[in-house]
Amino acid sequence: MSANLESYVLFELAGSVYGLPSRGVQHIEMFEHVTLVPNANPSIDGVVFSRGQVIPALNLRVRFGFPREKNTLRTRIIFVTIHDRTVGLIVDTAREFRNLSRDAIRPIDETLTGINGKYLKAVTKVSERLVLILDLEAILNVDEVQSPHSSQAIPAQNATV
Amino acid sequence: MSAETTSVLSEELLDDFFAEADEHLLGIRQALVQLEASVGKAQADPKIVEDLFRDLHSFKGISAIVGLAPSEAVAHATEDFLRLMRSGKAQLNAKGLEVLRASSRKLEQIVAAFRLRKPLPGYESLLADLRAQCDSISTSSLGLEPAGPQTDAFQTTLLTNVEDARARGLLLWKYTFSPSHELNAQGVNFNVIREQLLTIGEILKSTPLVRGKGEIAFEFLVAAKETPTDIVTWEARGVTVQLAEEPELKPGSSIEALAFDEEAHSPFLAPSHVVRIDLKRLDDLMRIAGEMVIHRSRLDAQIARLDPRSGRVDLRAVQEVNGGLARSLRELREAITRIRLVPVAEIFARMPFVVRDLARETLKKVRLKLEGQDTAIDKYLIERLKDPLLHLVRNAFSHGVETPEERAAASKPEEATIELNASTVGDSVMILVRDDGKGINPNAIFQQAKKLGLEIPAVVDSASILKILCSSGFSTRDDADRAAGRGVGMAVVYATVRELGGTLTMESEEGRNTQFKLHLPLTLAIAEMLIVKSAGQTCAVPQSCVREILHTTDAQIQMVNGIEAVPYRSGVLPIVRLADLFRLRSIARPKMCLLAITSERGSVGLLAEEILGQKEVVVRALRDPLIQVPGITGATELGDGKPVLILDGAALTAGIVRPVELFDESGRASPLAMQN
Repeated sequence: MSANLESYVLFELAGSVYGLPSRGVQHIEMFEHVTLVPNANPSIDGVVFSRGQVIPALNLRVRFGFPREKNTLRTRIIFVTIHDRTVGLIVDTAREFRNLSRDAIRPIDETLTGINGKYLKAVTKVSERLVLILDLEAILNVDEVQSPHSSQAIPAQNATV
Repeated sequence: MSAETTSVLSEELLDDFFAEADEHLLGIRQALVQLEASVGKAQADPKIVEDLFRDLHSFKGISAIVGLAPSEAVAHATEDFLRLMRSGKAQLNAKGLEVLRASSRKLEQIVAAFRLRKPLPGYESLLADLRAQCDSISTSSLGLEPAGPQTDAFQTTLLTNVEDARARGLLLWKYTFSPSHELNAQGVNFNVIREQLLTIGEILKSTPLVRGKGEIAFEFLVAAKETPTDIVTWEARGVTVQLAEEPELKPGSSIEALAFDEEAHSPFLAPSHVVRIDLKRLDDLMRIAGEMVIHRSRLDAQIARLDPRSGRVDLRAVQEVNGGLARSLRELREAITRIRLVPVAEIFARMPFVVRDLARETLKKVRLKLEGQDTAIDKYLIERLKDPLLHLVRNAFSHGVETPEERAAASKPEEATIELNASTVGDSVMILVRDDGKGINPNAIFQQAKKLGLEIPAVVDSASILKILCSSGFSTRDDADRAAGRGVGMAVVYATVRELGGTLTMESEEGRNTQFKLHLPLTLAIAEMLIVKSAGQTCAVPQSCVREILHTTDAQIQMVNGIEAVPYRSGVLPIVRLADLFRLRSIARPKMCLLAITSERGSVGLLAEEILGQKEVVVRALRDPLIQVPGITGATELGDGKPVLILDGAALTAGIVRPVELFDESGRASPLAMQN
């Protein structure tokens, strides 16, 4: 690989193509089973085992505010690792590994920052299709994930009757 | 045995002693009845002698603990006699059996008198009888060395050495050398063997043995750290190797640890610094330490609420004490964890014999290489890994290693190598099983999988090959041979490793080698769980917080202050539906299971459709902050690769577990609390 190329995993979500640097991707699996977790954030579909560890499975559609869809045979979990944490990202489908030229990756355009703008880092083009490069750190930011809902603390139920 | 000594022993300890003593005495009586058939035979039935020996030995141990010296002495002397019989040096004659019966009766009398706190019967004449039995055998059959009767002093030294070697983590090996003219011509004699043995360990004892037709052999008891990998070389020199005492194989059995009570010393027992502890007791200890950690964190929360200005408490001092408590607790947990660690040599020690036996049945030549034998891992892991590792070694031998001709044709050395390697990496342990055999042919595996109608992965890589190898029912052989080929092994290996929270990977170069790598956590948290199910969701509830399991019907559930509850004892028990926690619709059943869960915060009934059972599971932490949620303490796995959540009893009783937030038709999450 030339010094100017970097490998990315390309995947689809709600009709758009997204890219994640391959070096942060541990492996990709078919969506088989997640165990629901009560009390977890809505974007956490549950937990799965991966390499002996209990890993949260984060639904990227919910995280980005897209409508949820039923999981299909094409649904994939991309296991990403960042700062010693491993999280599984549920995406519509994973397409391919692709070497992208660093020169062709541009900072994000202001006009693109919509609903999921804060999770985007850059943009590039692969055979005339727009590929949005994600900011993993922002996606997995815990405070960020927790904040929209967990602020409403549930009052402890007094169980004594 | 004086009354003063017994009075300091707790009643509980004595009760345990009597219960156990009765059990062993019964075993001794039964064995003696069976032994009658052996009278006059060249060698007494070894199994019965072994049983008898074990009962006597245990009996001796518990006698020492309660300080009952007479029964300990009698058991000890009887053991000496049996030892001679066990090693085939003594025949059992009518007189011998009579003496053994007398011992058994005497032991019963001593225990009975001890129980009734009466004066203990004398036993000196019996001891003399037992010694006479030993002496007559020793002098009549051994004409080689002035071995004579082994005195108590000699036995004591030996016992001390054995205990000492064990305490240092050494394994005891029995090397038996049978000299012959041929060997002598090659320059192999007693002294040469002795010198060689000294290079691998300490010789604790050497005993001449007389076998039939005047043949002589020498038995060396050697304490060594490493398992001999070259037993075939030893055999070429007329030496057979045996593990002197097979480590116990039962899971949940005792492990060696900690110091011995000074009180238990007696002139008949060598001073020992080792005590056997049931793993279960260590688990209890760990659980209690875990509870203390929880209590301390509650203390933390309370301290945080204290007003430093109130002046009624010196907050600094309280915080300091609390900090000290936290440190001690951490140390306590670490210390308990360390007790559970044992060297992996306990498993490795069996492998040379396995490989030798396999090699005997085939023409294959294999050298076994063992590395990292002193790597210490959790006793529970050792027990669980015994069979998987045995299977991997057998597989390596059967499927990996080629015949010497095949190897020569592939320009490889005739002798193949199977390597077992253990090492610790951070807080995990890695065990490799590697062979330099023919490797794995992916096409052959895929074809066989197709033939067997198994699911074929899309990509050909080592992970997908491993997946096929580990599917239950997969076998590359049409007929099962002794070593491998039953098609259940790899599936079991895989399931065990996963259940232990570890991973299994495989690498293979076709024609060159195959390597299986097991990655396991160094220590494990193990807890007893009740596995419950509702609306398709399986959950685990710690056994420790379940007070009672009840059955209930819908008709019994009433609304009390807007909360569902059932009548329970003199009051009512508020209920939480397991299905509701996951926002799933529970399946209507005429009868539901109700787990009465109690904590200091109150009681709650957890309503589930079924109880699948009770199970000892490996608890895995939920490390990621995204899934550190109230009400869930961890996760486990029941063998199918699906995480099963462990509910927090205390959180349930405090009502802080709320349902998973579901999404409505628009796909937006709608948070819903549990109440009502």
